[in-house]
Amino acid sequence: MLAKNLSPIEKIKTESSGLRGSIIESLYNEITGAIREDDQAVIKFHGMYQQDDRDQREERAAKKLDRLYSFMIRLRLPGGFLTPRQWIASHEIAGKNSTGVIKITSRQTIQLHGLIKSKIKPTIAAFNAAELDSIATCGDINRNVLCTSNPIQSPIHEEVFAYADKISQLLMPKTKAYYEIWLDQEKIVDRKVEEDPLYEDRYLPRKFKIAIAIPPNNDVDVFANDIGLIAVIENNKLLGFNIAIGGGLSTTHGNTNTYARLATVIGFSDTEDRTLKAVYEIVTIQRDFGNRSDRKLARLKYTLDRVGLDWFKEELERRVGFELQEARPYQFTSRKDYFGWVSDDKDVWHYTAFVENGRITDEGKVKLKSALLEVAKTGKANFRFTCNQNVILSDVDLQDKSGVEEILNQFGVVANTEASSSLRKNSMACVALNTCPLALAEGQRYLPTLISKIEPILKKYFLEEEEIIIRMTGCPNGCARPYVAEIGLVGTALGHYNLHFGGDRSGQRLNRPYKENLNEESILMELDGWLGRYRLERRMGESFGDYALREIKLN
Amino acid sequence: MIAETKLSKLKELIEDSTEKELIWINGYLSGLVNSRTGVAPVQPTFTQKLTIVFGTDTGNSKKVASGFAKQLKQKGAQIKLQGIDQYRLADLQKEKYLLLVISTHGDGEPPATAKNFFDYIHNNSLALNELRYAVLALGDSAYPLFCKAGEDLDARLGELGGSRLLPLEKCDTDFEDVANTWIENVTKTIDPKSTSNQKKIVSPKVNGKKNYEAVILSNTNLNGRGSAKQTHHIELSASGVAYEPGDSLGLIPQNRLVLVNAILDETGIDPTKKIAYRKEEITVYDLLTRKVNIAYLPERLVKQYATIVGQAIPVTRMDLLNLIKIYPTKDVAQFEEVIGILEPIAPRLYSIASSLAAHEDEVHLTVVRNCFSVSDEVEYGLCSDYLLSLPVDAHLEFYIHKNSEFKLPDSEKDMIMIGPGTGVAPFRSFIEERNSTSASGRNWLFYGDQHFESDFLYQTEIQNYVQLGVLTKVNVAFSRDQEEKIYVQHKMLEEGKAVFDWLESGAHLYMCGAKSPMADDVERALVTIVEQFGKQTTEEAQAYLNQMKEDGRYQKDVY
Repeated sequence: MLAKNLSPIEKIKTESSGLRGSIIESLYNEITGAIREDDQAVIKFHGMYQQDDRDQREERAAKKLDRLYSFMIRLRLPGGFLTPRQWIASHEIAGKNSTGVIKITSRQTIQLHGLIKSKIKPTIAAFNAAELDSIATCGDINRNVLCTSNPIQSPIHEEVFAYADKISQLLMPKTKAYYEIWLDQEKIVDRKVEEDPLYEDRYLPRKFKIAIAIPPNNDVDVFANDIGLIAVIENNKLLGFNIAIGGGLSTTHGNTNTYARLATVIGFSDTEDRTLKAVYEIVTIQRDFGNRSDRKLARLKYTLDRVGLDWFKEELERRVGFELQEARPYQFTSRKDYFGWVSDDKDVWHYTAFVENGRITDEGKVKLKSALLEVAKTGKANFRFTCNQNVILSDVDLQDKSGVEEILNQFGVVANTEASSSLRKNSMACVALNTCPLALAEGQRYLPTLISKIEPILKKYFLEEEEIIIRMTGCPNGCARPYVAEIGLVGTALGHYNLHFGGDRSGQRLNRPYKENLNEESILMELDGWLGRYRLERRMGESFGDYALREIKLN
Repeated sequence: MIAETKLSKLKELIEDSTEKELIWINGYLSGLVNSRTGVAPVQPTFTQKLTIVFGTDTGNSKKVASGFAKQLKQKGAQIKLQGIDQYRLADLQKEKYLLLVISTHGDGEPPATAKNFFDYIHNNSLALNELRYAVLALGDSAYPLFCKAGEDLDARLGELGGSRLLPLEKCDTDFEDVANTWIENVTKTIDPKSTSNQKKIVSPKVNGKKNYEAVILSNTNLNGRGSAKQTHHIELSASGVAYEPGDSLGLIPQNRLVLVNAILDETGIDPTKKIAYRKEEITVYDLLTRKVNIAYLPERLVKQYATIVGQAIPVTRMDLLNLIKIYPTKDVAQFEEVIGILEPIAPRLYSIASSLAAHEDEVHLTVVRNCFSVSDEVEYGLCSDYLLSLPVDAHLEFYIHKNSEFKLPDSEKDMIMIGPGTGVAPFRSFIEERNSTSASGRNWLFYGDQHFESDFLYQTEIQNYVQLGVLTKVNVAFSRDQEEKIYVQHKMLEEGKAVFDWLESGAHLYMCGAKSPMADDVERALVTIVEQFGKQTTEEAQAYLNQMKEDGRYQKDVY
C-alpha cells in the first residue's frame, strides 16, 4: 500500500504517540465540549465516542451555542460478566456522570451515554476503582470478546467463558496511554517499554470482532464476527474450537463494493495454546494485508475475499507453525435467551430478564434499574449480559432464589418479562438518533412503537407465540445485526427503512433485501401481507425466515 | 532638581531683594518659562485656592470636573481635584471654595462612591460658615427624581452654614453646554475681573437627548434547554445610530397591558380622555401605558396616595393596581389626582453588545429576564420582560447613553476583560471593534455563568474569535457544574501569574456585571494576585490597582 494512499485515520494512528494524541490538551480546552478532531479518532481506542445531541443542533446554532457534545463510554467486559459490586459501581457512576441509562450493547457489554468532557476522567477513575476499564472497546483494534452468555448452555461453560478474557488480554494494546491520560499515572519516558509487536504503531485497518459460541445456541451471532470460535464439546470435555473467519455485517448505502458476509469455518484447533496462537496470527495477517486506504473495504472479510481462502489459510499455518485440523461437525438451532429462571445440574439458578433494546432505566413502568441495584446489593447474583441485549442474574443458589425473585417481582421485572410478546423479546435495535453520528433514521427510540403496531397483526394471524427475530438499525453499519434477522429494517432516511426478509433463526444465513425506502405504513402493509400468507402457507415447523426466503426465491 | 551652587546663588539673590523686587522677579521668571515652553504668558487673574470634587459612576461628572480644573488652572488658580471617595472628610470645615459635581442614579441615589461623604455631612453637625460652594448636579430628566443627589447635597451644605456661590444647577444627559455656562458663572462670581478665554458659550440648552427609532431584527433566547435563565440577544436596526463600544442604550419600557386594563376597569376612567401631565396633553391610556410608572410604587408615592384617598395605608412599596383594589379612589376625579402624582417610567440602560464597525446602523443587546420576588411572588423586571417580548419588526425608541469611563484602550494595548453573565455584553462590542479594526493588542476574556451546556452566552462567536486569534485567551467558570462553586475570580486566581504579567506589561483591565457579589469578589482576587505575584502588601496592592484606575487602565461597568 503506498503511503500517499493511506486513509487519514492511518496517519492519526501512527502519529498518536501510542494513542495519546493531544487528548490532554483537548481536555483542558474550556470553551468547547468537544475534543480536537484527530483526538476523536484516538479516543475511540480508549473506549469512547464523541457524540452530540443531533435533535438540538439547529436550535443551539441559533442560540450561538456550540453543539451539545458528550461522550459514550463502553466497558471491556469479556464474555459480558460483572460482579454485583461492579454493577453497583456502574449504577452509581451512570447516575452521577451520564444520562443515567445503562445500555446493554449487542456485544455483551454496557455503555453509558451523555458524559460531558469534564466527567470522563472521574468516570474512568470510578470504573478503575471497581476493576473495570474501557480499553479498546472501540477503534481499529480487537473489541470486546463475546461468549455464549448463559451458564446452563454447558457444564463446562466456565472453561469456555475463560477464553474470552484470555483472548482479550492477548490482544490488548501495550500502550499505557489509558492509565497516563485518564488515571494520572506516571508518564512513560522511554516509549520502548510499551513497544507493541502486535499492533506496532498502526493498529488494525479497521475494527476487529471476536466471538465464542457454545452450540447449539448461537446467541452471540458467531458468524457476524471477524473471528468466530465454535466450541467443540464431547462428554463435557472441551476438545477445541472450530475457527471461522471473515464475518462482518456493515455495508454502505450505494456502495456496491460493500457487503455483509458471514464467517467461513476454516478448520479446528485443539489446545488452548494453538487456539490462541491462531487467533493472534489471524489478527497479524489482517494487520499486514488489510486495506488501509479505503476504510469501507478494510474489514477482514474484504481482505479474505481479496487474497482468497486458500492463501489465507496457508499464510496462517505458516505463521502459527502448525496445520489446522479439519473442522468438526457442529449444529446451531437457535439464537435465544432463556427468559425467566433456568437451572443447571448443580442447582444453581439464572434469571434472564427482558430489557427492551438493552436500556436499563427506571423511566417506564418497570423500575428495572432499581430492581437490579437491589439485587446487586444482596450480593447473591452475578450479572451477565447477552448479545440480545438482555441481562442474566446468574449463579444464584437455590436458597437465595426466592429473595431475588421477590425483588424482581416488587419492581415489575418478572411481570414485564412474562408479558412482553415473543416478537418484542426477540427484537433488537441500535442506539441511532439522537446521539449516533452515523444514524440516518431512528433505531431504539422507534422500534418499540413499531412492534406495538406489529403485535395486533401477529395476533390477527394467531402468530403471537412465534419467536420471530426482528432487528432495526438507523444506518447500514449493522450494529444490531439486522442482516441476520428474519425481519431486518435498515434505516435509509428519517422514517424510511429497507426491509429485509429471510434470515434463519440460528444466524447461519444472511437475509435478502426485499424492498427499499419503506415508510411505516408500507412496512406494516408488507408485514400484514407476508405474515398472513405465512400463516396459511408455512410448512410444518417452518420459521418465518425460512418461509420468506423460500417465497423470495420462488418469485 | 537644582545643583547646590545654583541654589545658594538664588538664595543670595532672594535675601538681597525687597518684596517688590521679588514680585517682579516672580513675574519675570514665569513669563520667561512660559515663552520657552511655547505657551503665551498669561496674566494671573485668578489666584484663589479651589477644591473641585466629583462624584460619579459613569465618568461624566469626572469628565466635567476635570474640564473645570484645567480651565481654572490656566487662569492661575490653585486647584485640588478629587473624586468624592478620595476626599478627606476632615478637610471640609477648612474649605474656602468648594465646587461639587455630582450625578444621580436609580431612584434618586447618589453614586456609590459618594456614600461616605453623604453619611458624613448628614450625620454630623458641622459648622461650614467659611465655606463658599456651588453644586452642579448631573442627571437624567427621564427619571422621576431628577438630580436628587445634587439637590440633597446643595441643601445640606446650606443647612450647615455654607453659602452658595451660585444656586444649584441641574444638567440633563446633554450636560456640556449647561456645565460650561455654570463654570463661567462660578469664575465670575469668585473673581469678577477674570475674563474667559474659552469659546463663547452656546446657550440656552437644546432640549433632550437624541432619540432613535429602531426596528427589531431578531430576538433570540441564548440559553439552551434546561437553563434557569432567559437571556436574549436582541438586534436592533437604527439608521444613523452613533455610539462607541462601552456605551449603553437607554429606553423607556411600556407597562403591561393587562395591568393598565385592570386599572382602567377598577377606576372606570375613560381611557380616551385627555388630561394634563407634566406640561403635556395626553390620553389616559397612553399615559398609563407609556408614561408613568404603575408597578412597585416607591414608599413616598404610597404616602401621597394615602393622603389623596384619605386612608391609612402601611408604608411599603406597592403596585398601583393593588392600591386601587384595596384602597379605592372615590371617583374618577380623585383618580386623576392620583395620576398627577405618578412619576415617569424610568429609562433602563443596557450595555451595548455590538460595534458599529462590525454592524453598521445596528445596536445589539444582551438582556437577561430579571426575576425578583415580591412578597413570595415571582415578579419579572418590567423592561427586560418588555424587551424579551418584542417580536421581529416591532418598533422601539431609544437613546444612547455615553460612558466615558468604559472605553477601549489604544489599539496596541493588551486588555483583560472580566464579564460573567450579561457582563459579557460590552466585551462582545469591544472584541467586534478590535476585530474589525485589526487592533494589535492581545485580548483575554474571563467569562462565567451557571452551566456550561446551557448558559455559555455567545459560545460559538467566542470560539471563532479564539480561532481567529482575536481572543488570545479565554477562561470560563461555570458555577453549578460541579459540587464546589467556581466563579470567574477563581479562574483569575488560577491564572494569577499570567494576569499579573499582563498588568505589568501595561494591559488594561475591564470588569462588567453585577456589583455584588461579583465585582467585590473579583476586586479581592485582583488584590490577592498583585500581592502574591508582585510581592506586595495588601495596601500596596490596593494602591497598585488604584493607580491603574487613576491612569484609566482599570475600568468598571457594574450594576
